[in-house]
Amino acid sequence: MTLNPLLPFLMAGDPSLEALPGLLAEARALGLDAVEVGLPHSDPIADGPVLQAAAHRAIGRGATPRRVLESLAGLTDSPDLILFTYVNPLLQLGLDPLLRLLEPTPVRSLLVVDLPFGEEPGFEAELRAAGYPMVPLLAPTTTSDRAKALLGQRPDPGPGAPFAQRFAYVVARLGVTGAGQGTDLDPVVARVRDLQGITARPLAVGFGLSDPASLRAVRALGATPVIGSALVADLTTGRPIKACLEARLV
Amino acid sequence: MNDAFVLPTRFGAQGLGGCYAPETLMQPLLDLEAAFRAALDDPGFQAELKAELRHFVGRPTPLTPAPRLAAKLGLKALYLKREDLAHTGAHKINNALAQALLARRMGRTEIIAETGAGQHGVATAAACARLGLRCTVYMGVTDMARQAPNVARMRLFGATVRPVEAGQGTLKEAVNEALRAWAGHCTEAHYILGSALGPHPFPTLVRSFQTVIGEEARAQVFEQAGALPEAVVACAGGGSNGLGLLIPFAGDGLRRMAVEAGGHGRALGEHAARLDGGRMGVLHGCRTLLLQDEHGHTAETASVSAGLDYPALGPELAALVLDGKVEVRRASDDEALAAARLLCETEGILPALESSHALALLPALAAEGAATVLLGLSGRGDKDLSTYQSRLEL
Repeated sequence: MTLNPLLPFLMAGDPSLEALPGLLAEARALGLDAVEVGLPHSDPIADGPVLQAAAHRAIGRGATPRRVLESLAGLTDSPDLILFTYVNPLLQLGLDPLLRLLEPTPVRSLLVVDLPFGEEPGFEAELRAAGYPMVPLLAPTTTSDRAKALLGQRPDPGPGAPFAQRFAYVVARLGVTGAGQGTDLDPVVARVRDLQGITARPLAVGFGLSDPASLRAVRALGATPVIGSALVADLTTGRPIKACLEARLV
Repeated sequence: MNDAFVLPTRFGAQGLGGCYAPETLMQPLLDLEAAFRAALDDPGFQAELKAELRHFVGRPTPLTPAPRLAAKLGLKALYLKREDLAHTGAHKINNALAQALLARRMGRTEIIAETGAGQHGVATAAACARLGLRCTVYMGVTDMARQAPNVARMRLFGATVRPVEAGQGTLKEAVNEALRAWAGHCTEAHYILGSALGPHPFPTLVRSFQTVIGEEARAQVFEQAGALPEAVVACAGGGSNGLGLLIPFAGDGLRRMAVEAGGHGRALGEHAARLDGGRMGVLHGCRTLLLQDEHGHTAETASVSAGLDYPALGPELAALVLDGKVEVRRASDDEALAAARLLCETEGILPALESSHALALLPALAAEGAATVLLGLSGRGDKDLSTYQSRLEL
């Protein structure tokens, strides 16, 4: 499997739901396997200021979970999507309506920030059975034993499955999204190498940096760098997504 | 259920509570549960906590008979559990001090806390000053304005008060920001959550450190009246005071009642009454009754009382209510203000606006035929003087 060079994050509804299909088509044209699409939430406890502000702008413009998923229905010119969300909007939709909304979309997996394995076992099992596995999250505080357990609880479906369903998400720094803590990449490199020692599945790494050299350093490890807050901030200035992504693929 | 934990994580027939936390916080929460269990089993910790509660907090707090208010309302007897006389002026110090001791035991040097009315923030700042821990308190800007004296008190105790401007600038946003801060500093900092909510083990931890209220009150009322009252009443924001008072009366077959903030209307956004306006949902790490819109976005809330102005009822209290073990009522802003004035005039006690919501239930209880009532006076009203001045035209 060739390395997916970048995993971008977009906040659905920011700048607008209407713009989302076009942004996804651009990402696909650049050859990216997958994009994370964030469902805007009122209380994003794991997000930093940039994504909080984007979520609140999107909610203000009417980007409800239902409308976000409806805006993704029928898209063919899109990378695989990973739905990034908090658990409450999913629970309020309910399993069956959620599955009906997901079915016509390019969503291939769910990254639910505040849903540890085991808290909603029935819900998670039904989603997995329907083709929407939960992405395992590995934080700086996740011990090696716990990481092994988490990777087993949300297993790799195997090489036949797309990146969006196989990868584990490595939160490489403490804190909320977008929180870069200096430019020292050594801890990030060490963390990725440790995790590569316990799993062969693809890793995506969120580490709060977005400069090309740092992204290259992650790729050099054989892992996919995530670009979230920096991309959302760039798009807010009106910069075209093609330019934003190309600058980070070099 | 998350089997990584040892203590039960869920409450009641509907399985409220749980641990809906970001992965970064899972190991710190597991560590906290382990430290809590070890502390409960350690006579040294228990002795230290007991000594601090006695000599620093001033426990036991009195149980004060309130005969003039009782007569005015048509009750035979009324007893007030005086948490307003605990050091820093509210029940919050019981939990803040205990968690600060626990944090020090865990080797943590920094403390993070949220606060609504400021009572938990003040209590945490005081406990940190006493134990030599660094303290940062997150507080919504709306609450900072309406509870300004408490902001000054926290700063005097050496705490850093961080204003939170997001949303309505109240307790919900303060908890959001405190959780974010903890995720960034969880290797050196402990988060002292002040209400019986949040991800496991916080709801259990907080209420375990608050049941001293009900344990004392139960013994005191026996001593003074020779019998238990017919009803025990507390106000309920998240539920630390409500559970702390009500849980020790669980086996007594009396009415246990919690009073929520009815605000200024019954529409979503005009109150903080979760029982008849809320639906099951997940906020701040636990599954509970939550004021929210159909999309799962947390609703706005309103109450004259900053400490009750929160969209979720703590999971254990919500479970007790849903399982029919605790009754929940609501009191409006105006009813609470009137009840505060009446207590001041008849007994010479100035209650916090939160506690005034419990007081506001008394006329209805008397009308329903209750003769003897024990009421949790959770805090003192000095912090609310500016609200009383403007709303009661003093």
